Amino acid sequence: MREQSARYFFLIMIPAFVLLTLFLYYPIIQGTVIAFQKYTLFDMTNTPFIGFDNFKAIFTDINFNFGQIMLNTLIWVCVSLALQFVLGFILALLMQKPFRGRGIYSSLVFYPWALSGFAIGLVWAWIFNGQFGLVNDILLRLGLISNPVGFLSNPSYAMASVIVANIWYGVPFFAIMLLAALQSVPAELMEAGKIDGAGPLRRLFSITIPYIKPTIISTTLLRTMWIMNFPDIIYAMTGGGPSNSTNILATQMINKILKFYDYGQGSAFGVVIMVLLFTYALLYLRLTSGKEETF
Amino acid sequence: MLKRSLLMLVVLTLLVSATVSANTITLNFLEVMTSPERTALLRDLIAEYEAMNPSIKINLISPPYEQADQKATLMLNTNQDLDLIEIRDYSVKQFVNNKKLTDLTPYYEAWSEAETLTPVAIAAAKTVDDTPYWVPQAIFIKALYARTDVLAEYGITEMPETVEELIEICRQITDPSKNQYGFAWRGKGATMKFGDLFASVCVDDVANSEFIYSEDETFFLDPGFKQGMEAYITLFKEGTPPDGINWGFNEQVNGFVSGTTPFLIQDPDAIPLINNLLGEDKYEVVPLPVGPHDFTLIDYGFCGMGIPSYSKHKEEAWNFIQWISSAEKNGYFNEHWGPLPVHRTTFDINEHFQGKHYQAYRYEMANPDTFLLKTYPLASAKWPGWDVVYETDVQSVLLGRMTLDQMLQKWTDYWTK
Repeated sequence: MREQSARYFFLIMIPAFVLLTLFLYYPIIQGTVIAFQKYTLFDMTNTPFIGFDNFKAIFTDINFNFGQIMLNTLIWVCVSLALQFVLGFILALLMQKPFRGRGIYSSLVFYPWALSGFAIGLVWAWIFNGQFGLVNDILLRLGLISNPVGFLSNPSYAMASVIVANIWYGVPFFAIMLLAALQSVPAELMEAGKIDGAGPLRRLFSITIPYIKPTIISTTLLRTMWIMNFPDIIYAMTGGGPSNSTNILATQMINKILKFYDYGQGSAFGVVIMVLLFTYALLYLRLTSGKEETF
Repeated sequence: MLKRSLLMLVVLTLLVSATVSANTITLNFLEVMTSPERTALLRDLIAEYEAMNPSIKINLISPPYEQADQKATLMLNTNQDLDLIEIRDYSVKQFVNNKKLTDLTPYYEAWSEAETLTPVAIAAAKTVDDTPYWVPQAIFIKALYARTDVLAEYGITEMPETVEELIEICRQITDPSKNQYGFAWRGKGATMKFGDLFASVCVDDVANSEFIYSEDETFFLDPGFKQGMEAYITLFKEGTPPDGINWGFNEQVNGFVSGTTPFLIQDPDAIPLINNLLGEDKYEVVPLPVGPHDFTLIDYGFCGMGIPSYSKHKEEAWNFIQWISSAEKNGYFNEHWGPLPVHRTTFDINEHFQGKHYQAYRYEMANPDTFLLKTYPLASAKWPGWDVVYETDVQSVLLGRMTLDQMLQKWTDYWTK
C-alpha cells in the first residue's frame, strides 16, 4: 500500500517536474552557459567559450560604470521596497474595517497592479515630463516654481521620479497581501490586548505585526526580487539616463541585449542578478528565522 | 437525419478545404515596423494581391514593434516557416552574416522597374557586401521643419540655410520666462543622427569618407568636429528646453506642435502626424541647413523586404515583392504610412508626394553634392550599442559630468581600439 502511494506520488509530480524543467531550469542553465560564451546576434555562426571575459567586460565597462549601476540598483530596490511596504501597510490597515463602498474602493486601489509596467512607465513619463508634464503644470499653477523642473532630465530628480512611479505600482500588492493577513488576526487576541490596557500602537507592534510576520517576510522577499528584476518602468521613462543616473542591473541587461545585441554580456548581468538575489534570499531567511527563535 | 446531414456537411467542408489547400501556396510574411495603421494598410494590399492571385495566400505575422526585431532574429535563426521578411537598416548585416537571406541579384536583373529606383534606394539595397539582399520599401531621410507662424511673431521669415544661422535664430528667440525655446532637441534614441548634423558636417574630410565615421576612420579629434560639438552644446544651453535631454520622438513632435520649439529635424513620417495635430499650413519643411563646408549629411534610414535563404517558395515570394514594390503600390503604401517611396517615378505620378511638404526631401535627393548620402558603418561590430554610448556620453557632457575633450577621446578609442 505504502509503495503504491509513493509511486502515485511520483506519478502526479511528473507534469510539474516536466514543466519546471522546460520553462525554468533549462532556460536558467542555458542562460548561464551563454554568459560564458561570446554570443552576439551579430555573428551567431561563431560562439566560442571565453571563460569569464563577459563578466570582466561588464565589471570594467568604461561606458557604463558598474559601481554606479550597483549603487543605482541598491537605491532603486531599497527605497521602492520600503515605501511600497509602509504605504501598502497603512492602506491595508485603513481598509481593514468594513465601510460603505469598500469593494469599489479596493478594486480602484488594486488597479495599478493589473497594468503592464511599460504602460505605467509611459504614463508617468508624461506626468513627469519636464515641459508639458502634469506635475510641472500643477506646480507652476500653484506658483511653487517659476520654471518647469526637468524631473527626468535632471540626474538629481530622475531616480526619485522613477521610484515614485514604481511605488504607485507596487503599493497595491502589499495592500492586498497584508489586508488578507490582517483579516486572519484573531479578534480575541486584540480583545485581550485591549483588556490588558494596550493602546492601538502597542497592539499594532505587539500583536498584529508579530502575528502577520510570516506574510511580511515572504512578501518583502518576493517584492525585493521583483523590483530588482523590473526594468520596465525605468526603461520607458528614462531608458537608464540621463547619463546613467537611473541605469540598474536589469535595464543594463536589456540594453546589452536590445541595443548591443550582446547576449553573452546580457546573460552575465543575468547571472550577477541571480547570484545577488540568491545570496540575499539565503541571508534574509536566515536572519528573519533567527529572530523568530528569540521571540 | 440531422446527424447525417451534419456529417455530410463536415465531410464536404473537409473535401473542399483539402482541394483548396492542395492548390494554394501560403507565404508567411513577418513585418517588423509594426503599428496598427500600417498593419491594416499591409493587410489591404495583401488582400488586393490575393484577389488577383487566387492560388497565393499570404499570412502576415505582426509582432509588437518593440519585440519585432527579436522575433525576426529568432524565427530566422531557427529556420521557422518564413517566405517574406521585413528587414531594417539595423538588422540587415546580422541576417546576412548568419546566412539567412537570399541574394536577389538574378531577380533584380529580370525586374523592369529596378531601373527607376532612386540612388538612395539602390544604395540601401546594397548596404551589405554591395549585394542586393532585399528590396527597400521605404526611405527615411531628414529635413528641417519650421513653425512659420511662431517664427513670424519674432520677425523671422527667412528660413536658416546654414547650421550657424539655425543656432543663431534659436538663441535669439529663446526666452525661458515665456517658455519659448528654439530647437526640439533629441536626447533619447538614435541621438547621433542629430548630433552629427551639427558636428560631423564641420569636418571637410567626412565628404570623402565612406562612412560618417567607422573603425577605419574617425574625425572626433578634428578641430572642426570639436567646434561643431561646441556649437551644438551652445544650442542646447541657449536654445533648447533643458528637459530636451530626455526627449524622444514623441516629445520632440510635441515641442514642435506646441510651438515651444519651432524648429524640428525629422523624417517624412512626421508629416502625417504633424498635419493631424497642427494642420498643413502652420509649418514649412525646408532642406537641412548645411555646415561650414557647404554640405550636410543625409544619413538614410530604410526598411525593405527580403526572402529567407531557406524559403521553399522563393519565386512566389519574389512575385509578391515585385508587385508591392512597383512605383504605384509603393507610392500608395508610403503615402499612407509616411516615409519616402523608393522609385523616382512615384514623385511624378503620385499627387501626395507632389505636395509642398515633400519638396524639401525631393530637393535633397536631387542634389547629392550638397546633401551627401552617407551612412553609418552598419556592418561594423562596433555599431550595435554605439547609439547608447553616444547618448549617455552627450548627456554626461551636457550635465557637466564629463568634459568635451574626454568625450571626443573616448569616442576615438571606442571606434579605433
